Amino acid sequence: MEQELALPAVDDLDTGGHWQAARRHELAVRVCARCGRVLHMPKAYCHACGSWDTRWQVVAPVGRLYSWTTVLRQIHPAFPVPYTIVLVELAEAPAARLVGHLPGTPELSAGLPMVATFTDIGGISLPVWRPAQPGPVRPGPGTI
Amino acid sequence: MNGRGHRDAGAIVGVGATEFSRDSGRSELTLAVQASLAAIADAGLSVPDIDGIVKCDMDFVAPNDLADALGLAGLSYWGETGTGGGAPCAMIGQAIAAVLSGQASHVLVYRAINGRTGARYGQGDGQGDARGGNGTYNEFFVPFGLSTPGQMWSLMARRHMIEYGTTEEQLGAIALTCRARANANPAAQMHARTMTLGDYLAAPFITTPLRLFDYCLETDGACAVIVTSTERARDLAQPLCVVRAVAQGAQAGMQPGVAFPTLMRESITTMPSAAVARRLYQRAGLGPADIDVAQFYDCFTITVLVQLEDYGFCPKGEGGPFAASGALGLAGPLPINTAGGHLSEGYIHGLNHIAEGVRQIRGTAVTQLPRAEVCLVTSGLPIATSAMILTRGTG
Repeated sequence: MEQELALPAVDDLDTGGHWQAARRHELAVRVCARCGRVLHMPKAYCHACGSWDTRWQVVAPVGRLYSWTTVLRQIHPAFPVPYTIVLVELAEAPAARLVGHLPGTPELSAGLPMVATFTDIGGISLPVWRPAQPGPVRPGPGTI
Repeated sequence: MNGRGHRDAGAIVGVGATEFSRDSGRSELTLAVQASLAAIADAGLSVPDIDGIVKCDMDFVAPNDLADALGLAGLSYWGETGTGGGAPCAMIGQAIAAVLSGQASHVLVYRAINGRTGARYGQGDGQGDARGGNGTYNEFFVPFGLSTPGQMWSLMARRHMIEYGTTEEQLGAIALTCRARANANPAAQMHARTMTLGDYLAAPFITTPLRLFDYCLETDGACAVIVTSTERARDLAQPLCVVRAVAQGAQAGMQPGVAFPTLMRESITTMPSAAVARRLYQRAGLGPADIDVAQFYDCFTITVLVQLEDYGFCPKGEGGPFAASGALGLAGPLPINTAGGHLSEGYIHGLNHIAEGVRQIRGTAVTQLPRAEVCLVTSGLPIATSAMILTRGTG
């Protein structure tokens, strides 16, 4: 299927734990095991406390909508337009945001509660963000 | 480290460019050579005088390519900086550092790009099978359909609207300003195409809230400039254009990779420009009120809007009303992008902004401001950036 064109690398040494957790249908962020700082983008060293001891912390797959854009010009072959890119601030790790994909041109507003489920494609699992309370989705170009 | 060791010590003495087009019909190396020869001639120098070269990290033309093509026999210094559009003013800073440290006497700074017929930045990352990893962090973005700079900047523009109530008409004011300057500039790609606010609003959205004319052009072309000491510059062909100060800067929590991870910063509406502005003004002993004209890096309209705030021309959050007030026009307090900028002149990745800054200081711009004694030039966002202040060297 088209989506396979854009599946993520899941074995990166610094970020792979996020995708291993996703395979279990869990959302995980990398944190410092000593001071608890969220290390996002995921990385191996905590410059805040000098620790190399990190772990993947499972967080609730809920957050709030920080920003969004509806894409109306076709660029990437895996993503037919219109679709909407969302930037979600995680409820349990506000220092981390994650990007999600919504089909069409949903009615959105800042701070909208969002939830993620997971979809399995070709041995990889991707979080799927949606508004917690589904609203109308228009197929064509919307207003801003 | 007050950074004042270079104040007024370096100068830009030559400027050259090719035509800006949608299809140059020649290689980036050929474009680089043509712009370089024009800059060398403009300075009243000859090719053997050039002994240093500074390159942008994203340029496909390497210093040895250009040195070979120009027939440089005495290349003694070369350097490279980035990232991408954040480089140009830093490239000037690197050239000045080479001159002041005695590693070179006349340094060629260039950018050659077939941005329309070659690699199109608007087509973005992760095409086909590219999956991220290896320090790209694209695995967090491309699988969700975020693969272009414009999509990223649209998320930033939307957030600016959320936080400050910025409007599309305010973004449009920036596009219209650049277009009007391009309409007066025969070298600009949009020279013949006028635009009203109605035209701007009637153009299609590419990525909401940004429309077609919030996006810059994709251009084939090249620009080059020659840097030497101010002392040497006084003996050369052109009116003096002194680099009062240059600064590079990042911010705490800057984020790794190329661009998309900047969406994880604490704020996505304040840019590293704010840190560069503080450093630049301190080094220059000048402030926003001293700036007569500014050439703002403008890959998108929103990019200019956040810089108006970050460089202190208006309070944070008021970039929109400031832009829409007419402040950026020829009669306003801060005329910007007097050749048309990336939005309407051409996209030479920040080098054409330097070229126009030099022309304003010399008094030779097509749209010459009556008072252009101090010019701010900025380079690209949002990763880490650079900026400089040009003067006539009489202050």
